[in-house]
Amino acid sequence: MSVPMSGSFRRRPVPLAVTALGAALSLTALTGCGGSGGGGSADASGKVEGSITFQTWNLRAEYKNFFNDLIDRFEKKHPDAKVRWIDKPAEGYAETLSADAASEKLPDVVNVSPDLAYPLAKAGVLMNLSKDETAAKAEKKYMPEAWKGNEMPGLDGVFAYPWYLNTGPMFYNKRLFEEAGLNPEKPPENYAQLFSDGEKLAKKKVAALAATPTIEDFGRYGVPLMNKEGTEFTYNSPKGVEFMKKYKRLYDKGGLDSQVMSSSPEKAGQKFEQEKVAMNPGGALDLKNFKDNQPDLYKYIGITEAPNNNGHPNMSVMSLGVAQRSEHKAAAVAFAQFVTNQQNQEAFARKVAVFPSTKGSLDKPYWTKAGSSPEDRVRVSSAKLVKKAVNYTPAVMTDPMKTVLQKEVSKVFLGKKSPKKALDDAVAESNKLLKQL
Amino acid sequence: MKTAVTTPSDGGAAERADRPGPASGAGAPRRPGGSRVRTHMAHSPWAFLLPGIAVTLVFNLYPFFATIWKSFTDARTLAPGTFVGLDNFQEMLNDEQFWIGLRNSSLYVVVVVPCMVLLPLLLAMLVHKQIPGIAFFRSAFYTPVVASVVVVGLIWVWMLDERGLVNAVFKTIGIGPVKFLSDQWLILLSAMIVTVWKGLGYYMIIFMAALGNVPRELYEAANVDGAGPVRRFWSVTVPGVRNTMVLVAALSSVAAFRVFSEVYLMAGQDGGPAGEDTTLVMLVQRVGTGLSGRVGYASAISLVLFVITLVLLLAVFAAERRDKK
Repeated sequence: MSVPMSGSFRRRPVPLAVTALGAALSLTALTGCGGSGGGGSADASGKVEGSITFQTWNLRAEYKNFFNDLIDRFEKKHPDAKVRWIDKPAEGYAETLSADAASEKLPDVVNVSPDLAYPLAKAGVLMNLSKDETAAKAEKKYMPEAWKGNEMPGLDGVFAYPWYLNTGPMFYNKRLFEEAGLNPEKPPENYAQLFSDGEKLAKKKVAALAATPTIEDFGRYGVPLMNKEGTEFTYNSPKGVEFMKKYKRLYDKGGLDSQVMSSSPEKAGQKFEQEKVAMNPGGALDLKNFKDNQPDLYKYIGITEAPNNNGHPNMSVMSLGVAQRSEHKAAAVAFAQFVTNQQNQEAFARKVAVFPSTKGSLDKPYWTKAGSSPEDRVRVSSAKLVKKAVNYTPAVMTDPMKTVLQKEVSKVFLGKKSPKKALDDAVAESNKLLKQL
Repeated sequence: MKTAVTTPSDGGAAERADRPGPASGAGAPRRPGGSRVRTHMAHSPWAFLLPGIAVTLVFNLYPFFATIWKSFTDARTLAPGTFVGLDNFQEMLNDEQFWIGLRNSSLYVVVVVPCMVLLPLLLAMLVHKQIPGIAFFRSAFYTPVVASVVVVGLIWVWMLDERGLVNAVFKTIGIGPVKFLSDQWLILLSAMIVTVWKGLGYYMIIFMAALGNVPRELYEAANVDGAGPVRRFWSVTVPGVRNTMVLVAALSSVAAFRVFSEVYLMAGQDGGPAGEDTTLVMLVQRVGTGLSGRVGYASAISLVLFVITLVLLLAVFAAERRDKK
């Protein structure tokens, strides 16, 4: 049977059912693009109740039981509150946050680092904890340096609770050190030793590192990174140029992996695992990975602090922010404080080999008295360093600014620009981007 | 109900007679409840179309027009931005990375498209013949198409490493190590090789279908006239699959201009040494994503990318039309 075509149906009104179906479909599609609605509860006072989401940064795989237990304990303490835990992979975490924030669906409690917190705070997406009486009360529980670590330049207040700290150890391959005539028990402690050891390794056709210097390296070398106001970058100072010249020399001698300019932290890690480079920064998870999956390499691994010229190691700060639009701010703030309280921070730090940011925690025997294992010794020595550590990565330094620096460093290595010109250009471009923020 | 059988000879008269409504004439017999049936039949096409239209509007047209609008604003990931006129386009003119991206994307088209048109055709001619075991080769050539580009890219990265398989082979004959992954031009070339290798099978299938439509008599006539394999290729095969070649050229040029994954995997997220291997799509991704993403500027680059792609397509079809004339 044939279907009636045009001519007859054009003049007829569209039946209500079809219109409704169309409207429903369109609305269903459009609601997906909408926000969560509402401007969130006014403040963190009041009863701890409601359902909140808690987002961590690549922690589920290893610490599922820890967090499930943590959430259970919180829910028992506050029976009217429910916590839904979500965990996002490390790669693309900033993109995940930006998508959530742009669609006004940022989780109520979210794991951030200061450089991720800054744009969120600037956009008004994160709650200003200093401006909320209930939220600000917790300040005295944290180390002052850690609390200040979440102050954002140009923004009045603190936007996240300090969670765990890390100085980020550096792994080195003792076997490669020995083959190059270096003492495997004496890894480089400062940059002069790093460059010297790097050249010796290069003579044996082994690269010292597989990564270009980052802003943290400039900081550890002693280069002033920004002005006091945090409004302009200053790493093109003579000290910065000197640092660049030394790195260029190391590259020319073969002390850096030949693919260093198209490298990434993941690729650098692989090079270290393949014993193509002798040193690589890493974390506790990497050590566990070596132990479980590469026992041959694990035998030769040494752990040390990253080279440092000024006695202040780099400190990476992990924090928990609260979404400004949270419908249940009292529950969100209470949960963020619960996760970051002394007892829970210390328990987590023991499990992960990181450091708690709560006041007095690092004075406890676990972080002051070394045991016999290398891990124990590293933990105690690192804990000492954490107390005087500095977060070198400026909170305002966004990924595009890091890319600018990386590109200009590559131009120095390729001989396309002098160190002075490259750093001047990097600073000029970064300052331009900073003004656009 | 009367069953209408429409034949070519009756010009569809029987079908027209069966149609309800005005088209069937005032004197046509009316069926009980006909008006409700008519209403349903008249509107059912809309009911079927609505979901598709809604999806197109929401996921294609809205983002497209939103991108055009945003390209004239200073929008950021977390801020809607304000109208800035042509500022983004002016900035693009002075952006070194934009010109690098344009250069690399254009180079990709220049190198990859001829390979994508010619090599799959030759491959299709090889496997077109019906001989025992040919299915194995067809499957083998097609396998890279279904493989994940990320997995394929990583395997190639491993093979092209200075201590990888390719350099190990080169070493045995006294060459190298070749810096496939550290020289800006070799990185680009390596990515092109991966793109061509991965796309060969897909276009081969398209050419196989086209070759099936080339009349065998033409080959036989050419044989009788004493034409050799090369002459037969240029005088029979190429004219026979010309339309398909244009289609493949159009498809592959658009794909090549929008290349991302292969270069991203080979060169890294920063686009290789000093960003010299950045392509336009990589630049859009780098500039427009993240918490501080410059959505307005990235949209402007996307718009330029769209216009260039459109011009590229029109150029391919215009060249084809000129050839036909």
